[in-house]
Amino acid sequence: MSEYWNDIINFLSSEKLWAVTRAIIVVIVGLVIAKLASSGLTTIASKKIDPHRTMVLKRGSYYLILILFLVTALHQLGFNLSVLLGAAGIFSVAIGFASQTSASNLISGLFLVAERPFTVGDVIRVGTTTGEVLSIDPLSVKLRTFDNLFVRIPNESLIKSEVTTLSRFPIRRADLLVGVAYKEDLKKVRAILEAVADKNPLCLEEPKPRYIFQGFGDSSLDIQFSVWAKRENFLDLKNTIYEEIKTAFDEQGVEIPFPHVSLYTGSVTEPFPIYTTDDKPLDQS
Amino acid sequence: MATEFDKPPHWWGNFTLPHEQSLQWRIGPLTLIVHCLDGEWQIGHQRTADFDNDDSTWEFQRCDLLPETLDKHSRYIFSKILKQLTLTPRLADRPIISRPRVPFNLTAGEEVTLYISSPLWIELTLATSPATLLEEVAIQRPSDTWFGSSTLEGELCYASSTHCRINLAELPQRVHRAITPVVIRNQAETTLTVERINLPAPLLSVYACTNGQLWTPQVTLIRGKHGDMAELKIDNKAPEQAESPIRLSRPRDTASAGVLIRAFNAVFS
Repeated sequence: MSEYWNDIINFLSSEKLWAVTRAIIVVIVGLVIAKLASSGLTTIASKKIDPHRTMVLKRGSYYLILILFLVTALHQLGFNLSVLLGAAGIFSVAIGFASQTSASNLISGLFLVAERPFTVGDVIRVGTTTGEVLSIDPLSVKLRTFDNLFVRIPNESLIKSEVTTLSRFPIRRADLLVGVAYKEDLKKVRAILEAVADKNPLCLEEPKPRYIFQGFGDSSLDIQFSVWAKRENFLDLKNTIYEEIKTAFDEQGVEIPFPHVSLYTGSVTEPFPIYTTDDKPLDQS
Repeated sequence: MATEFDKPPHWWGNFTLPHEQSLQWRIGPLTLIVHCLDGEWQIGHQRTADFDNDDSTWEFQRCDLLPETLDKHSRYIFSKILKQLTLTPRLADRPIISRPRVPFNLTAGEEVTLYISSPLWIELTLATSPATLLEEVAIQRPSDTWFGSSTLEGELCYASSTHCRINLAELPQRVHRAITPVVIRNQAETTLTVERINLPAPLLSVYACTNGQLWTPQVTLIRGKHGDMAELKIDNKAPEQAESPIRLSRPRDTASAGVLIRAFNAVFS
């Protein structure tokens, strides 16, 4: 017991304790300075650069300063950094095998930051998920979907798959699909559609609305009417213009058909029996 | 039910609201009702779709209708009792795109003056120091439009519902729109085809002349010798055509007033 106690006293009176204390102080000071420096840089830079770059700057400066202080702390503890770096080389091979997925995500994250296909605050669509980008982290991108769900997408998936940035350009095109009955005059239909677009203030005058005849459908003449809107008004335009088209068609007597199905029994079969409401089938009479 | 009330000479200016009563304006397609209570203001407005764009009349009356009976309405609460309301005409917060009835060509060295009619917004403020902005209401909501060489480059603007005219007499004078004289000078060696003009409405102030017509300062667009740049000059006074002008509102964007050099395709197309 006394031997154990002597060891403690020797340790407390030795240089080692002082070195450990200095290392701890260096790490604590490093944490505080890294936090203050990254926050200060963010405050200064946020007025001049976008949120995405601000976030990269904040994290980059924080980790860089922290690593410098950690290296200093290790030096205080008496570690030989050249030996440590050599060991790190050997370990990195082992770690690389063990953490292939994480490393892949990390490298993909660097490419995402460099390529900048989207930034924080953009609305993107990945596969079937559409949402606002909350953050672009080293391993993943976090989204908030419009039904308020938090989605984490690994960076590797984003690099490999198709990503659509919905908020990149200030204007968007809405492709409206309209079907009219075969008996309708297409010139009249086109004139009605153009008049509806002209009256709707959310529909851009330029680029002009585009009328495309898509072909003879199963039950209707299929038309694509493409109109442009300010990005923020995209959904409002789609909602209002469909209502206005329906109202205009009703007023002008243009029929919007529902699917028709003709039953054909073939030339060798008997025709279908037809009954009026007052008649009864023969076998019941 | 509306009742007659002392009609002021213009639809803009200062108005003292009677307690717990509504005042109603009809300006162009817009109906605006303001109702004043102790420490509360209610504002409502709506626009009619079937409106004669050449109609230049306006109405002002006391009415029994409440703002909440209109399509859009809002309430403002104050700790003080405020009775003074100011209506100020303002130009759009985005450029206005106007086009002549038929595109025309301006040969080298030629100059023309066009008259562009722009839609107005009404700024509703309370007479406090500084003035308290309640809201801005567009008298006629213009259509959005895009002005640029492609869908990637350009700017979002409003489309003027009327054509710009070379002859001022052909332009109907309406109380709910402001007229801007635009001088186009082609100093390039090639012909300039004018299909659309980008009028920088946020840089323009609004003046009223004695007959109630609203004007903005004259804008001069000079196509440079090399043809790819355009010089934009905005006068700091009312145009000559306005009789005894009084300035009603300042430009929205005062920072970039004066002489501006812009890319040619940012002004003409």
